[in-house]
Amino acid sequence: MKAKLFSREASLIFAIIMMVIIFSAIEPIYLSGGNLLDIFDQTVINGLLAIGITYAIITGGIDLSIGSIFAVVIVITGDLLVRGMNPVLAITIGMALGFVLGVVNGLLITKLKLQPFIATLGTMSAYRGIAYIYTGGWPVLDIPDNFRSMLAGDVVKDVPVSVIILIAFTIVSHIVLKYTKLGTYIFAIGGNEEATKLSGVNVDRTKILTYALCGVGAALAGMILLARLGSGEPATGQGYELNAIAAAAIGGASLAGGKGNMIATLLGAILLSALKVGLVVVGVDSFWQYIATGAIIVVAAYSEVIQDKFKKLRLVKNKNNNKNTNYPKSVGM
Amino acid sequence: MNKKMILALLTSATLILGACSANSSSNGANGDGAKENTGFNPDKEDGTLYSEINGELGAVPKITDEVNLGAVAKAFENEYWRTLKEGMEIGADKFNSNGYNIVADVKSPQGEADEEGQLSIVRDMINKKYSGLLLSPISDSNLVPGVEEAVEDDIPVINVNDGIIAEAPHFVGPKAVENGEKVAEWVSEKLNGKGKVAIVVGMPKAFAARQRTLGFESWIKDNAPGIEIVEKQNADWDREKAKNTAETWIKKHPDLKAIFANNDTMALGVQEAVNASGKDILVMGVDGIGEAYDSIRKGELDATIDSFPKFKGQIAVEMMIRKIGGQELPRVIWTPQALIDSTNVDTPAEEIIGWTEPELAQ
Repeated sequence: MKAKLFSREASLIFAIIMMVIIFSAIEPIYLSGGNLLDIFDQTVINGLLAIGITYAIITGGIDLSIGSIFAVVIVITGDLLVRGMNPVLAITIGMALGFVLGVVNGLLITKLKLQPFIATLGTMSAYRGIAYIYTGGWPVLDIPDNFRSMLAGDVVKDVPVSVIILIAFTIVSHIVLKYTKLGTYIFAIGGNEEATKLSGVNVDRTKILTYALCGVGAALAGMILLARLGSGEPATGQGYELNAIAAAAIGGASLAGGKGNMIATLLGAILLSALKVGLVVVGVDSFWQYIATGAIIVVAAYSEVIQDKFKKLRLVKNKNNNKNTNYPKSVGM
Repeated sequence: MNKKMILALLTSATLILGACSANSSSNGANGDGAKENTGFNPDKEDGTLYSEINGELGAVPKITDEVNLGAVAKAFENEYWRTLKEGMEIGADKFNSNGYNIVADVKSPQGEADEEGQLSIVRDMINKKYSGLLLSPISDSNLVPGVEEAVEDDIPVINVNDGIIAEAPHFVGPKAVENGEKVAEWVSEKLNGKGKVAIVVGMPKAFAARQRTLGFESWIKDNAPGIEIVEKQNADWDREKAKNTAETWIKKHPDLKAIFANNDTMALGVQEAVNASGKDILVMGVDGIGEAYDSIRKGELDATIDSFPKFKGQIAVEMMIRKIGGQELPRVIWTPQALIDSTNVDTPAEEIIGWTEPELAQ
């Protein structure tokens, strides 16, 4: 019961509320309905990338190539749409493309036994090259309106389709992690890969699937941006992987693997957007925004360290406690 | 409880940061300007307009030997630099069809972050004894060692566009500060000299970008007291970030009249936010990329500044030939630039800038 009080989600929600209160005190317009909606709206791209990368992070991996997958999907689906392809088909192809590029990452990591950081550092550059070569460096222009309204429009008034997509992707991912065998395997790999392999789990296939899901997240994010902006550039999305990692880290995902929570990752992304929007509303000088974002990452990570310390103390006190902290049941702590 | 307290502390830290910088932001504009006067500033030089060059120096000298021009741009990932490359090649071709023998080798490093890579391209060209170098450095310092070597080896060097190489004997490019001034003048006229405006800046690494904001702000300050710059934020040259920033501003200032972005990419992002808001807000960019022209034609984007890289490339080649042919070039040569809006978006560039082909010696 006590664990619930201390849950990552609760403290992130508390932090977001604190932030809203403080920013609204300085600049009341922050609290206006339209502005709060903007925070969700601006969370979508980073949120989808962050949920995707959380899969890889939980297995103890990382995917640095998501910004480049994002760009490849943008220029290729953009081009197909401009050539007159049916939007639904183009979206399907875009997602399949993200999946395939993710599978390639997974194959490099599992079959060639490359470290995830190195493998995806390589594909980050190579995929970016694909985006440049495909377009010759030029942007893809005049994305048709039917596609744009499909992904950038509203479901009902003021509720954008893209926000619903983000929430759906988060909930599905949350269910996968917490309530399916696949989720259990993903956590188990992050906790102890060797032991998981010995217990008969197909580790390679599970890992490949996490990178594929990561690629799908990047593809969705890319297509939403394409719809929002009405054009796509091959240079887009550089550095977006770092924002995604930041959101996952604020959400408590550990780069050592075995720990992570999709809802908390989403809240981490919302926190970053709330901060960004707040700093713009209040009119904080650009240079200071870097410091504020850095501070939030460091403080959130430190709070996780403190929490771990308490948890260990409790474990020592209570010998009957479940020893394997890597199982999903204990992840939300 | 610990964690909540820490997160609470964090939010208050943010608040303090906000307070600190709210004070400093009003001085930011002047601060930017003051810092860059440490070295050579072409905007402050008594430059010569390109249109006056022929009058001052006479016809382009005839060179019959083969001329190997080496040019290094910032990054071909960016449309602007691809167009400059195209301009240099067109320039060389035009001379070649008049009996010259010019080979233009235009290269770029891998992206605008590859400062070392750009220097190694320059070094390679020096080793291969190119006849002349046209350089557009990524930062104001990364090509300095290369330029010093070239000068030592008596290879003529011309600095094209930004960044600035103080050590290079000549600079060919637009007067950067004029970018922002032209936009400011235009918007002031459109708004009848009063109203709220905002600026989306890109983190400036090179000279020209800093000058855009500076030119805009100082023109407004000196000439349009009724116009109030209510917001200024960085969006990292990123379209989505610019859109997000503009969305927030439009809600915060319901009476916002215009937004100036430091480049077209960001301006097009701002335009998306303005479209979504349904408001009538003027949006201006800088660069004159193809997409910006299209957007102006569609009646969306309101203005951009084009510095005509295709012609700038030709001018750079012409200046190098004059130099190799023994003419004494001015320290700074200003290339043409113009504001593009709905009134001249379909006018050919030659007409807008009054382009004439260089006169050649017989």
